[in-house]
Amino acid sequence: MEVDDLDDEEFAFSRNYFLAKELGGSKKKSSGKLADIDVVDEQELRAAAANTEPKHEREIAALISSYKSSYAKWVFELRCGFGLLMYGFGSKKSLIEDFASTALMDYSVIVVNGYLQSVNIKQVIIAIAEELSDQLKSRPKNASGSNVHQTFSSRSMDDLFVFLNGSNEEDKDCFVCVVIHNIDGPGLRDSETQEYLARVAACSHVRIIASVDHVNAPLLWDKKMVHTQFNWLWYHVPTFAPYKIEGMFFPLILAHGGTAQSAKTATIVLQSLTPNAQSVFKVLIEHQLSHPDEEGMPIDKLYAICRERFLVSSQITLNSHLTEFKDHELVKTRRHSDGQDCLYIPLPSEALEKLLTELS
Amino acid sequence: MAPSAATLVEAPLQSTVENIETNFQPFYVLHKASSRKNSRKSNLCGKSRKRTKLSPSGPNGIENLDNEEPDGSQLEHLRMECLELVWSKLETTIKDVLRDTNVQVFDDISRWVYESFAAIRSSGTPSSSSATRPFPTFTRAECKVLFTGLVLTKNMEVVDDLLTFEELGFHLKSHGCHVASLSSQELSAKSSIGGCIRSLLRQLLKVTVDAADMFILASWYREQGYYEKPVVVIVEDIERCCGSVLSDFIIMLSEWVVKIPIILIMGVATTIDAPANVLRSNALQQLCASKFILGSPAERMEAVVEAVLLRHCCMFSIGHKVAVFLRKYFLNQDGTLTSFIRAMKIACVQHFSMEPLSFMLARLLVEEENMDGNCASFLEVLPKHASDLLSDSRYSLVEGTDNNLGNILSELKRWRKKWSIVVLCLYQVGKFGKVQLLDLLCEALDPQFFKPLTSENSSRLQQEQGTSFSSSYELPYQFSSRKDGYIYQVVRKVRDLPAEFLHQLLMSWEKITGCVPEIHQNVKDLLLAFKLGNGKSSEKDIADLSKRHASRNGLFVKNSKPIMEKTESFLNSLVREHMRPVECIPFHELICFKDVRKLQLALIGDPRRRIQVDLLEFQKIIKCTCCSENMNSLLPCAHDSTIMYSLAQEHGDLINLHDWFQSFKRVISHPQAKGNHRTKQCSTPKKRKDKPTVERKSNASIQARFCTAVTELQIAGLLRMPSKRRPDYVQRVAFGL
Repeated sequence: MEVDDLDDEEFAFSRNYFLAKELGGSKKKSSGKLADIDVVDEQELRAAAANTEPKHEREIAALISSYKSSYAKWVFELRCGFGLLMYGFGSKKSLIEDFASTALMDYSVIVVNGYLQSVNIKQVIIAIAEELSDQLKSRPKNASGSNVHQTFSSRSMDDLFVFLNGSNEEDKDCFVCVVIHNIDGPGLRDSETQEYLARVAACSHVRIIASVDHVNAPLLWDKKMVHTQFNWLWYHVPTFAPYKIEGMFFPLILAHGGTAQSAKTATIVLQSLTPNAQSVFKVLIEHQLSHPDEEGMPIDKLYAICRERFLVSSQITLNSHLTEFKDHELVKTRRHSDGQDCLYIPLPSEALEKLLTELS
Repeated sequence: MAPSAATLVEAPLQSTVENIETNFQPFYVLHKASSRKNSRKSNLCGKSRKRTKLSPSGPNGIENLDNEEPDGSQLEHLRMECLELVWSKLETTIKDVLRDTNVQVFDDISRWVYESFAAIRSSGTPSSSSATRPFPTFTRAECKVLFTGLVLTKNMEVVDDLLTFEELGFHLKSHGCHVASLSSQELSAKSSIGGCIRSLLRQLLKVTVDAADMFILASWYREQGYYEKPVVVIVEDIERCCGSVLSDFIIMLSEWVVKIPIILIMGVATTIDAPANVLRSNALQQLCASKFILGSPAERMEAVVEAVLLRHCCMFSIGHKVAVFLRKYFLNQDGTLTSFIRAMKIACVQHFSMEPLSFMLARLLVEEENMDGNCASFLEVLPKHASDLLSDSRYSLVEGTDNNLGNILSELKRWRKKWSIVVLCLYQVGKFGKVQLLDLLCEALDPQFFKPLTSENSSRLQQEQGTSFSSSYELPYQFSSRKDGYIYQVVRKVRDLPAEFLHQLLMSWEKITGCVPEIHQNVKDLLLAFKLGNGKSSEKDIADLSKRHASRNGLFVKNSKPIMEKTESFLNSLVREHMRPVECIPFHELICFKDVRKLQLALIGDPRRRIQVDLLEFQKIIKCTCCSENMNSLLPCAHDSTIMYSLAQEHGDLINLHDWFQSFKRVISHPQAKGNHRTKQCSTPKKRKDKPTVERKSNASIQARFCTAVTELQIAGLLRMPSKRRPDYVQRVAFGL
């Protein structure tokens, strides 16, 4: 009977998928355009989003506080060596931080903001090791205290793991808690980081409390990571709290496009590149501004000019700059009427001028 | 205890605002461990150290608590200690069982390692001058052979074999080998051959060096005492390794094999020709392979289940639904022993964290270990508190018995012994008919089969059994297995057994039932009857029955007919009298974990389904009065993302942003909107630029809410953003729950 349930579920899933596909195909596609909506400008939109009146404040508050009764159980489970994984709709940031600052006072707590674009995992592990070494030092009769004086930043990852995974026969209750908001977030999503996190989680002196928001988050881990390293206990804790901070790095869907916006993004990208790369880009801008009717700038011409100005020494360096530009969609190629590939910047002239002034 | 909702929410929200800069730091320290609690804890830890040794003084450690009134945290501490006790016992049991299943193969492997080592040595050791040179010795091709043991795991799940290879490592170390193991990550293209050598150096020399040089390893080996111990390198899973790196590694090892006698052991999940598929031919030529086979996952599973749930290692039990769930999870979903063990641990932890009196299990365990009656003091612990807890209405009190803790516990213990003996006896028969232990167990735990006896049945029984009913359990309840059930099948199976198997069976029963004299006696009688039934055969004949049975088969079959019937009816009566599912025992709550839903939720997170349900059934979770009244219509007061996601359900795989926005706008701006708003007729008039500012403002707020909701759905992974090709559409990702 249970097997049938499973099959039914799978059947329903595939049926839904094909129904949805059909729905998309059979009905005449709606021709509504985003441009038809009279979109207010981005700043106003951001301001309005910040001032949105929350709904059901009281009920949501009651819901979040209802989880407080589980805190003791969560601590119990952490002490048993499990990791806690919170999921469910709504931001769980304040819930977990509240849990950590009320129920985990006995342990050092490190918070990792996985929703940020980049997190340096080695730095995090060093910080964990430092906290652990502080915690070990503060304990009486600490035998391993003598060898923890050296700085952790110079140690290799393997050494750090050995330190974190030290014997805890003496006191099973000595561990550092690591809170990871959005362990499925953009800064932590790659497999290498997840491997490292799994190794950290497997250490005897570390416990992890993490949250996931993405419906497909479990695909990040294989069975080894789930069963032997993270050792997750799943907790469904929907909060319906707004994703204020987590959502800050997402572009607003109604605010994309617009000259100001793209010039701004382009500037940000360019500023992170080397001066030479910036100069190469400037050559492209100048060419495009002076030849507005042409399809673009042929690569050999760009190379010739760049060599003249000592911006690049070889075709290879130029290509590496160009790859960088293409990756950030600052530059595109198209076929010239005479069959030659040429480069152009997909921005209007005003934006280019603005960009030029900002670069120089 | 809980403060009012309003004040509670204030706290976390405030902290978010306060720590505004920490929100944008990749990581930060929230707080350090408080020293006040450290001192308290170390005090308790002192106790725990004493207790976990399980020495006779163990229970006395708790007596300290007796002086004061126990509070919640102390009880929790007791439960925690008890959990540690129970789980460490279970864990060692599991490890022992797994080691036992492999011990034969491990012995074979270590013998082979030493044979190979002797073979390498016999081909000649390098002279002292050549040994100190920092490059491999150039020798004849046949000296470059690398002895390789292929260990077939019969298991695609590598995670189950991690422990096996770890144990193999310990086993070989204890037999005097140098052992290092390389994971598939270390043999990946990324870490390349340098990473492998560094890992070897780290494991064997216990140093971290930047230079990946085999010469360091060679000189270390020379210092270790010349040619005394083989070096074993274990590669857990060759199918996951990068073929070219592994090939290079093998070729390099084979060049050094004269200086460092390395023997390779590789785990193979598929078939014996896996190395041929993974390795290059020149690497393959260097290998001299031998084959070893591990037990199958199903065998290991049976062994673990038997040890954990049936043998007397600890009293912790699981309820019927939990057993059914675990079986289903193992067979249909995960299929790894590791996850089964993890599920058992979760069940254990949940039990001890929820069941207030669960710490009494420790007493049973201590008693088991320490039979001199030292445990009486333990009984004194918290007597008042325990009886308070006992009188809790959760437990079904039995009338006519005094609900004394001691009695209850010894009754539970008696039950457990008998029940597990019955299941084990059945399992012994089941082995002949390939009945799985988990199937039997699920049936044996099912409280549905423990039914009141009908009057007709009862009289028939009494005729059959006479006065042989045991006094411990009063009928009229008894276990009656289903006609198509496993237990019924197994009982019927007895009569089809050939005499030789029957003898084996009775012998095994004799061993199993040793701890319950009344059953043991019956088995002995049966054995005796079996021997007498074979009239002329003496004791000695029976002993080496298996050797001779071929020639005497006919005689046995003829003579053993009545004994088979006897055996069958004995088994029947065993089932009827002693098979009592745990959930039908009074106070089973103390030792039995039943909450299958909790286990399931903790073990298998289902974010894909649940996050969608959160959105679609928002009002159920939030328990809001205004929304729950109108369950079937979208109200403007619902959560914005809920409105948006419900609207998205009406679309195909692509959602037109314009339409979506218009319908969202319509829902939130018409309080009385009913279900029919969903018909997509986007005929809202276009807005004019010259509208008053108030309207513009509200327009901005609607757009902002729309954007926020889209972002939230995007964070939840339910939407894919517009592509360059289709700027006006977002794509739905999840279809159906």
